[in-house]
Order: sequence, then structure tokens, then C-alpha cells
Amino acid sequence: MKKADKVAYDKDYAASKKNGKPFFPYAIYKDTIIAGLAILVVIVLAITVRVEMGEPVNPASTDFLPRPDWYFYFAFELLKIFANQNALTPVIMATFMVPNILIILLVIWPFIDRGPERRIWKRPFAMGTAVLVISGLCYLTFLGASTPEGIAKGETLPLTGLDAAASAGEAVYLANGCSSCHMIKGVGAPGPGPELTNEGAKGWDNAKMVQWMKVPVAPMPSFASLPPEDLENLSTFLNGLGTKYK
Amino acid sequence: MTTKDIGPKNPVEQGVTQVVDFVDERSGVKNSGRWLMFRNIPAGTSWFQTLGFTAMALFGMQAITGIILAMYYKPDPNTAFGSIAHITNEVTWGWMVRGMHKWGASAMIVIVFLHMGRVFIWGAYKYPRELTWVTGAMLLMMTMFMGLTGYLLVWDQKAYWATVVAVNIFASAPILGPYIGDILRAGPEFGPDTLSRFYSIHMLLIPGGIATFIGLHLYFIIRLGISEPPWAKRALRVQRDEEDARRKAARNRDAGLKGSVSFPPAVVTDGQEVSR
Repeated sequence: MKKADKVAYDKDYAASKKNGKPFFPYAIYKDTIIAGLAILVVIVLAITVRVEMGEPVNPASTDFLPRPDWYFYFAFELLKIFANQNALTPVIMATFMVPNILIILLVIWPFIDRGPERRIWKRPFAMGTAVLVISGLCYLTFLGASTPEGIAKGETLPLTGLDAAASAGEAVYLANGCSSCHMIKGVGAPGPGPELTNEGAKGWDNAKMVQWMKVPVAPMPSFASLPPEDLENLSTFLNGLGTKYK
Repeated sequence: MTTKDIGPKNPVEQGVTQVVDFVDERSGVKNSGRWLMFRNIPAGTSWFQTLGFTAMALFGMQAITGIILAMYYKPDPNTAFGSIAHITNEVTWGWMVRGMHKWGASAMIVIVFLHMGRVFIWGAYKYPRELTWVTGAMLLMMTMFMGLTGYLLVWDQKAYWATVVAVNIFASAPILGPYIGDILRAGPEFGPDTLSRFYSIHMLLIPGGIATFIGLHLYFIIRLGISEPPWAKRALRVQRDEEDARRKAARNRDAGLKGSVSFPPAVVTDGQEVSR
């Protein structure tokens, strides 16, 4: 903003304040009503929608469903968008680049948009950004709320040609919640992990897969706590997906 | 007031007056309080401008319910889940306080985002309120971080593994990531100290930060005054300049029709070059 604009704004605001109303009671009564309503809504929700107890933590059991609270669904869905981990959509976009760009934009926004104009319809760039960000956040939150949470207990994978080791590997896969992040032939959650239907096509050997299970790339947690034979069977199973086991 | 001063005051009133006067003599609280409460705000101040106060009120509610929960909660991996069950099932009104804290968190996030949306759409972050916006952005991020750290404290499977994934994400950031991961986890792996670390961050570190930044935020708001709605009756300078330019252009057009060239060509910009 230019010096003249600043001076003019200060003058305008001073005049507006001079012809204004006292903070008490004219602002306070509105504040109190809306804040009271908000707290009332919280109390009504606390009474009508009781908070339930979940399953107690068991770090040894990896039968889990990593779902954040609803206000982080947008970040969670972002992980799914960049789940394929190829050169075009690296996972670092979702875990680092996009969130940090948004945070930096948020903080420095007043230093980007500095014009004196305040009327809504005269600021197409700011309003366009607002519509884009708001609809994006709402859409991703809606997606996160409406996608399935993995597979039901007892459901199996529609695979044929499994040998003994691969069957054992499939059991490990199903018992450890892998399907709450990965999909095989349409079974399991569509993310944040990549689809594994054709995992065997990568041509990894078991040693490489076991190493990946122990030290994976974020956001995947480490499965180093699994017994070695489970990891071996799981690797056999995964390395044959799409090639030997279809 | 004057008629009331006739005759001796009752002793209670006298005592209260003495205490207030004692404090006022040393702090000047009467004057500054009067200034704070009765300072003018623009007449057009709208219902949309109640969201900041509402967010602050919800923070207060979270603080009170949080203090009550902390009286019963045990930040230890072996007892955390049990203490939550105790609060939910046995403590008088415990389910209610926990419910309010849980729903209050969601409500606070909703209100904080609405508040930010209002400020953005109104352009209220513009001169002179840039730093009010920056402190508000910090408050928004700290509120989100409260949600993240509080989620682990219930110590159930879903929360635990979601937090493992979230911390993995922080730890995967380039350069500083591994250090941030170690700081959050209290070590290279999730362990017994992780829970108490999250508890400390959730109830001491971030609330302290939020309180500090609410103080800064309020300081800026009180010092600079609350912004006017963009539809305020009294037009701002850009609008006036626009209208001036339009009038001038119309006048020139009329003059042109009459075949006169006595007016200089109109300066039809958004008025910023027009000096007054």
C-alpha cells in the first residue's frame, strides 16, 4: 500500500471510530450471544453423542486402522493422491511440499495482497484463491469421511495360485491391518498406501522386501516387530502378486 | 452519584471501595478498564465479527475441561487407557467433561477456520492489520497441533497408529525431519516416554503458546481497532476516488458532446493517482 493510501485509511478509520459505538455493550453482547450458543452446541453434542472407548493400545499388535480425527482428513487424503510414489507424484509432495507451501502462503498472505481495496467483488484474485482453498479442503475432508476403512473381519483376498508360503504371507497381510492402507484386486482401502495388485512386477527379492518392511518410507510405519518368518512369508506373498498369484 | 455520597457508607461498600482504590492507586486499572470497555468501535461492526471471541471462549472451555480431565488422567502407557475408562464410566460427570473436551476441540477448529475465512473474505488482514493476521495464523497452527497431540492421549489403537503415521510424516521431512521425529517421540521409537511427552506438549507447551499469542492478537486488535465490514456505509478512499473519476468522466463526456474541450482528459484509474 502506498503512503497516501495508508494515511487515507488511517483518517477514514479514525472518522469511523469517532462516529462509532462503545465496545461495551454493543460488541460485547453480540460476542456473548454467539460464544454462548457455541458452548451450548458443544454441551448438547457431549450429551447426545457420547464419546466411546476404543480398543486399548497394543504396540505388538499391528492390526490397526490409522485414521486421524476428521480435521486432518484433508492431509490424509493428500497422502492418497500422492500414494503411487512415482516420479510424477512423489509422496514428499503430500508429506512436505504441499503442507509447507500452504503454511507459508497462510503466514505471508497479507504481504502478498497489499492493495487498499477491501470490497469483495473487486478482489478477484483473493476471492479465487479463497474459493479454491475452501472447496479443496471441504472436498478432501468429505472424501476422507466417506471412504471405506479397509476390510471386514473374515474377508479374504480374491487370489488364486497361492502356495504354502504365500498363504502364510496372505494371513500375515490380513492380520496386520495392511489392507487399511493398501488395496489388492479391489479389496482394502484405496490409500494412503499404493495399490499392491501388481507388486510382483517390481521384481524385488525377499531380502529387499523384508528390509522395506523394517525401514519403510514415511508415512508407512515400520513392521520390524513382526517375527522373521512372518516377514519372509509376507515378502514371498507380496513379491508374487500379479505374477505368480493373481 | 452525588446524592448517594450524603451520609456514611455502609461498611461493606466502604471496604470494597477502599480495596478498589488501593489497587487503582497502584495499577491505574480503573482508567484503563474504562478505556478498554468504552472505547469506540465502528458503528457497522457485524455479527460476523464475533467469531474471534467465540474461538477464545472455546479455548477457555477447553482449558477448564482440560484441567478437570488432568485431575484424573494418567499419562503412562500402562494406565492411560484405564484412566480414560475411569473418567468415562465412573467419575461423576466425567463422561460429560470428556465429551465437552472432545466436541469442544472440533468446535474450536470449525470456529477458528470460520474466523479466518471471515477475515480473509473481508480483506481485514490489510494495512494496518498484517501482524494481527500473522499471529492469528500461528494460533490456527497451534490449534491444529493441539488436535494432533490430544488425539494420542486417549491411547486407543486407532489414535496410536494414526499418531505413529503422523510422526513418521514429520520425521520424513528433509534435513530437520529426523530431529523433529526424535523430539516428538522422545527417542527413535514410540516408547513409554512418548505418551508423557505428548501430554506435556498438549497441556503445557502449546496452551502456553496459545495464551501468549492470544495476548499478542488481542493487543493488536485493541491497538489498531476492529476492522469495518467491506460494505460499511462510509465509503473508503478507493471508492470515493472511483466515484470521483466516474463523475469526472461523465462530465467530460457531456462536455465533449457539446463540442467543448475545456476539460482535461479524465484520469480513469482506480483513483490511486488522484491526489486530494
